[in-house]
Parts: sequence; C-alpha cells; structure tokens
Amino acid sequence: MRILVIEDDGKVASFIQTGLEQEGYAVDVLHHGNSAGDQARAVDYDAVVLDLMLPGRSGFQVLRDIRSRKPSLPVIMLTAKDSLDERVAGLDAGADDYMAKPFALAELSARLRALLRRGTPRESVLRVGDLEMDTIRRSVRRAGSTIDLKPKEYALLEFLMRNSDRPLTRSLIIEHVWDIHFDSISNVVEVHINSLRNKIDRGFPIQLIHTVRGVGYMLTDSAP
Amino acid sequence: MTLTLRARLAVIATTVSGLLLGTLSVVSYNVLSRWLDEDLTARLTELTDGLHGYLRFESGIPTIEYNVSDTDQASFVHEATRYYQIYEAETGQLIVQSPEVTPLGLSLTKGEVTLLLASPLPSDISTPYGRLRVLNSPVPSPSGRIYLLQVGVSLTALDGSLGRYRDLLLLLTPLSLLVAGAGSWWLSGLALAPLTRVASAARDIDVATLERRLPTRGVRDELEQVTRAFNETLARLDLSIGEMRQFSTALAHELRTPLAALRGEIELALRASRDADLQRSFVSQIEEIDRLTRLIDHVLTLARAESGQIPLKFGAVDLGELAASLVDQLEPVAHARAITLQCDARPGVVAMGDAGWLERLLLNLLDNAMKFTPEGGRVVVRVSHEGDRARVDVADTGIGMTHDVTAHVFERFYQADPSRSSASGGAGLGLSLVKWIVDRHHGAIAVQSEPERGSTFSVTLPGSGRRHRV
Repeated sequence: MRILVIEDDGKVASFIQTGLEQEGYAVDVLHHGNSAGDQARAVDYDAVVLDLMLPGRSGFQVLRDIRSRKPSLPVIMLTAKDSLDERVAGLDAGADDYMAKPFALAELSARLRALLRRGTPRESVLRVGDLEMDTIRRSVRRAGSTIDLKPKEYALLEFLMRNSDRPLTRSLIIEHVWDIHFDSISNVVEVHINSLRNKIDRGFPIQLIHTVRGVGYMLTDSAP
Repeated sequence: MTLTLRARLAVIATTVSGLLLGTLSVVSYNVLSRWLDEDLTARLTELTDGLHGYLRFESGIPTIEYNVSDTDQASFVHEATRYYQIYEAETGQLIVQSPEVTPLGLSLTKGEVTLLLASPLPSDISTPYGRLRVLNSPVPSPSGRIYLLQVGVSLTALDGSLGRYRDLLLLLTPLSLLVAGAGSWWLSGLALAPLTRVASAARDIDVATLERRLPTRGVRDELEQVTRAFNETLARLDLSIGEMRQFSTALAHELRTPLAALRGEIELALRASRDADLQRSFVSQIEEIDRLTRLIDHVLTLARAESGQIPLKFGAVDLGELAASLVDQLEPVAHARAITLQCDARPGVVAMGDAGWLERLLLNLLDNAMKFTPEGGRVVVRVSHEGDRARVDVADTGIGMTHDVTAHVFERFYQADPSRSSASGGAGLGLSLVKWIVDRHHGAIAVQSEPERGSTFSVTLPGSGRRHRV
C-alpha cells in the first residue's frame, strides 16, 4: 500500500510518514501541491493525505488536479480549521474524509483503512474471538450465550468490532457512535466502554476491550 | 409614558393648529363684535342727531315734525322714533314716549333724568325683550327749558348674529381640530415611513449578514444622510469583523499545526518506548495536548459564533423528544456517578431553532449540572410551555452557587472554583456557549441557585408558532 502525503509542515509530514511506515505503508511526501497531480498520475498510489492549507496553491485546487487524473483515488484532507462548514466544503470538493489537526496517528490510520477497505461488501456477521455479532438480527453472543445490549452499547460494540485490532480514539468513537456535540461531554465514552466491559468481558479469561494509553480503546482477542 | 415619534409629531402639529384655530376664533369673534358694536353706536348717534333736526317746539312742548310724503324722511323718523322718549329736565315729567318703550318699563324718574343729562354716552339696558342701546342728549327749547331726548336701538339683531357666529365657531373649531389631528397623524406617518423601512432593514442585519447595506434612494434629504451614515458604519464593522475572522482562522492554523506535530511525535515515541515511566509521561503529555486542543476548539467556536461565522438552520424542534433522547444517552454517565437523571417533558413542546445547536445547549447544561452534583444527587430536565414559548429547566441538587457567582456564570473563562473545574476538565466556556446559543435563538436564560442546595438553569425559546397536539 503506497500513500502520498502532501503537507507543507515538515514536522507534521515527518511524523505521518514515520507512523504510517511503522504500520507497513510505503509513504511519499510532497511539501507543496504544484506537482501533486503529476505525481498522483505517475505513481499508483492507494490513497492521498492532503493538507488543506498549502503554500501557493490551496488544497482544494490540488484536490481538483488529483481528481481530474485519478477520479477514484481516496483522499483524506487535513486541516487546521475544524468548523463544520470547512468540513462540508472539503467533502463537497471531493475529499473522501476529513481530519482536523491535531489528530491521533491511530485515527489517521483507522480512517485510511476504512477508505482502503471501501467497496468491499460489509459483512453481516462480525467475529472477534468467541464474540459474535449478527448485524441483521442485531444480536450479540459470547461463547454461545446471548448478551443484552442497550442501543448505544450495541452501536459502540459494532464500531469496535468493525475496526477490531486497531486502536480507536475517543473523538473517532464519539463521531461515529454519538455526534460531534457529545465531544464536550466528559467521559461519555469511558462510561459506555465500562458498561460494555461488564457485559462482554466480565467472567471471561480473555479480555477483548483494551485501553490503549494515549490513544483510546481497541477491541482485539490477541493481547498487545 | 413614551409616545412614538409619529404620535409626538402628530400631537405637536395638532396642538399648534389648535392654538392657531382658537386664537383665530377668539380674535375674529371679538373684532366682529366690536365692529358691529361700533356701527350700531354710529347709527344711534346718527339717529339721535337726525331726530334733533325734526324737533319743533309748539307751546314749549317738543314734537317731531316731518314731511310724511317724503319716504326718506318718513322711514328715517320711523326708525329713529321706534324707541324714544322725551322728558322735561327740571320736573322729570314724561313728555312723549314711543309705544315700543312703554311695555319695557323704561320710564325714568326725575333723579334718573338729571343723572342721564350729565352722561351723554350711550349705555346698554337689558329688558325682557332683549337689549337696548340708548343715547341721551339734552334738547334746549327756545323758551330756555331743557329736555332730555333718549333714543334707542335694539341690540337683538346684533346679539343674535354674534351668537350664531359664536355657535358656528364652537362647532367648526373642534371639527377643524379633529381634521387637523387626523391630517397630522397621516402626514407624520407619511414622513416617517421611510425611517420605519430603514429601521426594519437595519434590524435584519446582524453580524452574519454584515455585507448587506440599507437601500438608498438617490435623493439628498435628511433620511438619505442617516442611511448613508449607517451604511458607512456597517462597512467599517464589516471590515473589522472580517479582520477578526481572518485572525481567528490564522490563529487556529498557527496553533493547530505545531500541536499536531507535537502530538504525532509523542505518539511515535510512545509506540517505540518500552519503559513504563516514560510511557506514563508520554500519555500525560498527549492528554495535555488533547485538553489544549479542546480549549482551542471551544475558544474558536465561540469566536466564530460571536463574529457570525456560524449560520443557524432554523426549523421546528421538539424539545421534549430532544431532552428525552439526550437523557437516555446520558443516563449511563449519570449512573456511573451515582446521580439520578430524570426527564419530565410535556408532549408537543416545539421550539423554533437549530436542532444541532439546541442539542449542544441541552448537553452543555446537563453536563454542567452533572459535573457539580455529588453522588446520590439528582438532575431533572423539565420541558414545558410558557405562553407560546418553549421552556426548559435543568435543575440539580448540586453544590449550588452564591449570588456573586451566578452573576458571572455566563462569562467566558469564568470558574467559580478553578481547582474543581480543572479537575473535571472544564475551561469555563460551556455556559458562555450556552448563552450564545440562547441569544442567537432570541431566547432568554436565567439561573437560580442556592449554595449546598442546587441550581436551576431556565431557558425560554420562541415557540414554533403552532402547538403540536398529541
């Protein structure tokens, strides 16, 4: 998997490169958008990480360049602004996803993964270890016994299971399971994770829900 | 009581017209009555003087002689002798009296005759049949005797005319005043209508629509000057708000980019580290960066909100449903803190507002209430009608606030107890955002609080204009 990162700030570009390379991606970095279109056509990238505020040309122009040559290439926009308007403008301009700085590397890779996986059909039965979720019947079982979940707990678990083995940040979870206004509410995620732990993990030798320090939470059956 | 400018103008114009009309009426009445009076006195003098010419003395007795066939003479004497009487001055004896005078009871005593001879001025006498003006004049006879000639004219016609004129004025003046009042009301309305239009156009301009201008009409009058001055002020405001927006955008970029680099590098270091102490230190740094990021988000959201960069999408929002859904979602959080969270919502309470921002409003109030309520406490959301407005109360049994604190609670960065607030992660911005949301919805917010007993935040919002029946 080869990723093109277009980011003018050297330090930000460097940690994105290092972080993504650690996760097994091949990463090319451009510090300005002038040759982005040509670069995107010349190299067969799997995804682009594009900063919105670039010297010379705006990220929107660069995005149009890329889109004119590679219409289906997934693009995640990075911005130092985060207002909803900006977000809508970014997505309207053809970006596939959008992230506000500063962000967690784990969140960037989670979003990248989601984009790269796009197009593959969503499975209706999700499995992590002996935990099983039937998304059509909306039922959850662990080791064969049914577990009753409240709607938010179910939504949270589905999000964790669809992104299993990957750490998920609090803001990513809030955005997918609640809505952005809940970001201001203290420990809404923590509380739901706790009640989910009580229902999923209590009494089982293998814990599935893990706290990833400095990042957030991760659902996995292989202890890190 | 304050009157509108229009009413004041109309009152002033009507008062001035009223004063003018009143003065005009009084003056014209007086002048007319004086003129008529003078004419009558002149006629009386003329009649008296004329009658002197027709007086003859036969055996010392004054009689009136004239040529009966001369119609001019006849009609003059007829008029002059309608009211007349002659007395002998010395004895006061009545010599002759016209038949018209007799029933009026105007016969004179000797004393009166002597007195009247001394005052040759005309005088008015009231009689049961109307007023009479009489002129007394001495008539010396050839024999040396003095007689008193009294000639009178009736004032009835004059009094009648003046009376009718006065009645006419009494009727016309209030009528004209009424017309003047209505006219000035209409005129002042006409004159102020463009001002009202300017005012309503100005009212539609807020911080989000500063690029708008008031319509100018291209004429050089006072109103156009006001409009132009207002438009110039708008232009200056627009410019400075624009600079403020650019500033907040630039600030956001300048702050976020280095924070992103910092956070990324710490995260990489955390991944690489196998040392537990170092990991704890990295995690704590990341938490601090996240806290700083949230603070920047809040400040910038407020800055953008207050400079009108956040457009609201208004629609009908069922507050009861919203409150119930939020309480449902927050129940686990409350449960984890051993707080009872309840929703007491009347059905069909609908506010006109932006659903997203109203959710934020309720969330911030609920979060705030739960933050300051100790274990075992209770937080209740009540949704009800208040007239045609919607009302939401968020009441808690928390630590409460003193009066000094409630006065500042909506100010930015205000924290009643900084040590406590930072422990719960707040920056003193949640309630100022709440205040902004309420203001943008043309609502009102009030807080009632008592230390150790709890606080109640009450928000009223404009209703959707129709009540939803369930």
